[in-house]
Amino acid sequence: MYAGAAAMALVAIVFVAGLYGLHRLLALAPDPLAVLPFQSGWRPEEHALSRYHVRWYLSTLLFLAFDVEMLFMYPWAVVVAEMGATAIVEMFLFLGAVFVAVVWAWREGALRWV
Amino acid sequence: MPDSTVTTVSAGWALAAAAILGLLVAFAAVLDGLFSARTAGAGPSGMTRPLGETARLVRQRRRTTVAADTLLWRIGSSGLLFMALMIVTVVPLGQWTLFDLDVGVVWFNAMDVLAWAFVWLTGWGANSTHSLIGGYRFLAHGLAYELPLMFALVAPAVAASSLNVGTVAAAQADLWFVVWMPVAFLVFCTGVVAIAVWGPFTPALGSDIAGGVTTELSGVDRLVFQGGRYALLAAGAAFAVPMFLGGGNGPLLPGWAWVLVKTSALLAVLVWLRRRLPAVRPDLFMEVGWVVLLPAVLVQDLLVAVVAVWRT
Amino acid sequence: MGLSNALARYAVNHAHVLLVEAPGHWLTRAAAEQQLLARGWLFASSPADADVLALCGTPGPEIAAIAARLWEQLPGPRARVQIDAPHLAAAAFESAATKLLDVTLQRDDSQGRSATPNGERHRDNESEGHDGGHDHGGHGTHVGKGEMDGGHAEHSAMDHGGSSGHGESGDHGGMGHGMDMGHADMGHGATSHGGMDMAPAGIPMTHGGEDRDGLELDVLHLRLGPVLPYWPTGLVLRCSLQGDLIVHAEVTLVDAQHARHHAGVRCAHHRAARRCDNAAGLLALSGWEDAAGRARRLRDWLLSDGDRGTTARDLDRLHRRIKRSWLLRWSLRGVGYLSAADVARLDLPGHLRGDTHDRLLSMIQRAADDIAGSADASSDASEHVPIVKIGDVVQGLDIATARLVVASLDLDPQPAASAVAHA
Repeated sequence: MYAGAAAMALVAIVFVAGLYGLHRLLALAPDPLAVLPFQSGWRPEEHALSRYHVRWYLSTLLFLAFDVEMLFMYPWAVVVAEMGATAIVEMFLFLGAVFVAVVWAWREGALRWV
Repeated sequence: MPDSTVTTVSAGWALAAAAILGLLVAFAAVLDGLFSARTAGAGPSGMTRPLGETARLVRQRRRTTVAADTLLWRIGSSGLLFMALMIVTVVPLGQWTLFDLDVGVVWFNAMDVLAWAFVWLTGWGANSTHSLIGGYRFLAHGLAYELPLMFALVAPAVAASSLNVGTVAAAQADLWFVVWMPVAFLVFCTGVVAIAVWGPFTPALGSDIAGGVTTELSGVDRLVFQGGRYALLAAGAAFAVPMFLGGGNGPLLPGWAWVLVKTSALLAVLVWLRRRLPAVRPDLFMEVGWVVLLPAVLVQDLLVAVVAVWRT
Repeated sequence: MGLSNALARYAVNHAHVLLVEAPGHWLTRAAAEQQLLARGWLFASSPADADVLALCGTPGPEIAAIAARLWEQLPGPRARVQIDAPHLAAAAFESAATKLLDVTLQRDDSQGRSATPNGERHRDNESEGHDGGHDHGGHGTHVGKGEMDGGHAEHSAMDHGGSSGHGESGDHGGMGHGMDMGHADMGHGATSHGGMDMAPAGIPMTHGGEDRDGLELDVLHLRLGPVLPYWPTGLVLRCSLQGDLIVHAEVTLVDAQHARHHAGVRCAHHRAARRCDNAAGLLALSGWEDAAGRARRLRDWLLSDGDRGTTARDLDRLHRRIKRSWLLRWSLRGVGYLSAADVARLDLPGHLRGDTHDRLLSMIQRAADDIAGSADASSDASEHVPIVKIGDVVQGLDIATARLVVASLDLDPQPAASAVAHA
């Protein structure tokens, strides 16, 4: 059953490798040109790779919480029709509770970051 | 496994599936060329733009920046194409599919999340401030679009009581899901546009940061990245067909033809939207994603679940 | 060889052009934009994306040095052209196309380029003497590609010897030069990193600095301008960034002392065209390509002295379209809001009051007024935006909003260079 996916992965890899191979043959020069990063025509003052100030850090925490919770939805989706109303009530009570947390975080300004 | 209505074809057909995706990419790129020529208001029609751009990038020399993280950079730029091809494996073309996975919907989800890694790595690897900022802009968008997208995927699964893409498509024989779950459909389309870093979700590639993630890409590196974006848009449109647009259901034409027609139509709309809408700043969209899209799609899920229970 | 030629032919029909505008030559740039779009070519957003480097106007020494540095960053096939006057644009692009098509020439050019950005360094040292912080760059080049592994790091640390200290002081020199408007809270002088500094490839790593909440975060320096899509000509904003937040910005102008004293924009049609050009830039930055293209076409009509009636009507249509777009209003509303008090304090012209959305609409409105001839022409001269104030305006914004705000200031082509000289 997984043969199709494996074959497609192979196709993807061969295709990308093929493009790179084609480029080697047809490009002006096969080796990459080493340059300085673009900074409007100035030399960079530092390396860009640094501890980046991620101002939406709080949103990432919120996302993690909700994302893990979201995984329950997939098995639930398959059985909800046969389980009936109790499954809906339970799941949406749970979602409601999590969403209250989102609303709280929003009110606290966790989703604003400028 | 429940009543799967599709037959799995042999692995060799992966090549054909990739070729179909390639044709859809060409279609989208030609269309985009036409629209961009119209925006320019002068010059040639733009029909040959995809061909010309490909020739240009194949001929162009590659670059590497000082102290770049080359391995991660290249993984990132070629990853989008890989993602798109893996997504189409679970999309049934009429009655045929390459990969009849019980949890095909989850498979799509798993693949689309890879965009976070690939786009960000492309931004990170170059060791360039502009592209670094672009990479982080994409993550900020991701935080806002991803959850609504996941919940949007749940709605058709609930209605069909299955996570198998073929079964979901078959469940729409009477009524397409887009008709009674429009919110989920719109949110799904938003997600697809965002994954492809397209239209309103282009701040990661914004001209204000000199092309953002793509600032330092040239030659084939840029080709696979840009090609990957088109491929993701096409793959996303193709996935919407079995999920919301009735799969291969339709009069007269055979199933596979309907899938292609619907995919092309949705793809054309997504390409057209690109120039019509201003970009959505990540900081503004964060609130929209969490406070508007997420509850909207949760209510949609609730309605769908109630209908599903009531029908049985 | 046949295949290479065929590829070249297809490629050349879709070349991307990086425009470098010398201060005072916006009409040349506008003509170049019009010509390249007419060829089916596109704007390049960075050197990596470009096949053609087009220098619009006669450059001063700084712009020339910047263009030379950018030229090194073009991947090739590449062609460089200089467009001295608006009517020469078409011919210049024709010659660029010929150069791009010459497979042998391009191959030789590419083979002659070294795999490391060495040559460029030395040139930089001469032209950028005032930026002490970088001068030692040249020493580091033989550290190879500057991998971060121990051996190399040690090597480069040794290399610099006193020079990491030198780098540090140079850093401050850089910070302090030009108009220092009292560094907000850039207390990184206190953080000691003397000999520990690693500088792969001769470029130092970032240093920490306190952010607005008192956390120590890395500070990156990034210069916006002079060559950046939709950026006001000649303006350079040296930003200290934490993440993408501008914690501090210094303003300079390139070739300020060499600027020819261009008396702004005299004719009303050209003034209106300039408004449209600025509006096109702002719309493009906000990501709305359709509307930006429309504004650009209006500019071109105005510059070619097109029919007044249709231009006024189209301008009106654009105005309404912008007003109707709720998505644009939502994304520009409240951005860079300037109250009447701010405008007075910063000595800005009155039409900049409000937020970026208001300023965009006022730009279009003033273009319409110019065409109708109802504008008060005499007021125009006194309405220059004092360039030095831009630093104050963008401080505390992130790059995206800062770009929008700068574009919304609707700068005139030749900013008052004297204002900067004695600031």
